[in-house]
Amino acid sequence: MKNFLTYNLWFKIISLLLAIVTWLYVNGELSGHNF
Amino acid sequence: MQTIDFIFGIWKPVVEICILWFVFYRVILFFEGTRAFQLLKGIVILVLAFYVFQKLQLNTLNWLLTKLFAIWVIGILIIFQPELRYGLARLGQQHLFYVPPEEELFAIFKDVGSAVVSLSSKKIGALIAFERESGLKTYVESGVYLDTAVSAEIIETIFIPTSPLHDGGLIIQAGRVIAASCLFPLSHRSDLPIKFGMRHRAAIGLTEETDAVVVVVSEETGRISLVVEGEVKAIADKEELIKDLKRLFKKKKTDEELPNL
Repeated sequence: MKNFLTYNLWFKIISLLLAIVTWLYVNGELSGHNF
Repeated sequence: MQTIDFIFGIWKPVVEICILWFVFYRVILFFEGTRAFQLLKGIVILVLAFYVFQKLQLNTLNWLLTKLFAIWVIGILIIFQPELRYGLARLGQQHLFYVPPEEELFAIFKDVGSAVVSLSSKKIGALIAFERESGLKTYVESGVYLDTAVSAEIIETIFIPTSPLHDGGLIIQAGRVIAASCLFPLSHRSDLPIKFGMRHRAAIGLTEETDAVVVVVSEETGRISLVVEGEVKAIADKEELIKDLKRLFKKKKTDEELPNL
């Protein structure tokens, strides 16, 4: 189980950050307009 | 009532972010270890630059980036066509998040040890690379894709001089023989002893560029060597090879320094 969580940990962190930034951008929190 | 509203308000963003997370993670894994990974980094930097230009209202730069983008897409598709083809072919057959357990890896080392000793006694050259953290996909592409279970017999068969796959290196990834007949980059070091032939140079070259562990059997002398980070260590017998391989694969987990290599 530990292996599953820590394997490619950096990739998981980076992809989570990218996902959150994308979501915020699309939903107008970062871009200043809503779709 | 407020709690229910809150739950209904939050489930959509959570689901969306989770799906996006999974997609981004897969995209990164898809590109990792290939030439295209550098490109992916470049794209992320450009997207950030694009956002900054937009925020600062630098219209000329913004215009340039937008106009060039269409051209880039076509360029990228042409330049990275081999990577894209290989990646798409692999998409359906990947082991999701799979890392072999230690016992399984150790059993593989025993098989590799037996094969290597047998090849060494017959003076048959061999070049076997174990993938660790950095991906070897680029090199897998250069060979023949196998994806078969590791066994001493398979390895010996591959390196028999009359086998069509004997030329080049064999790659073991996640506990499986993933490809054979792969081309490894040759080291350009000028301080290497003259006794090192192409096989050793390829092993050194690969370990200079990646963190792979490579086992080499010399065709000339039957000598077994273990190559890590560009350093060659002579191996006396099967037990020593298995011990060193175990240590090298444990090292990544515990971050212990390796005394002999």
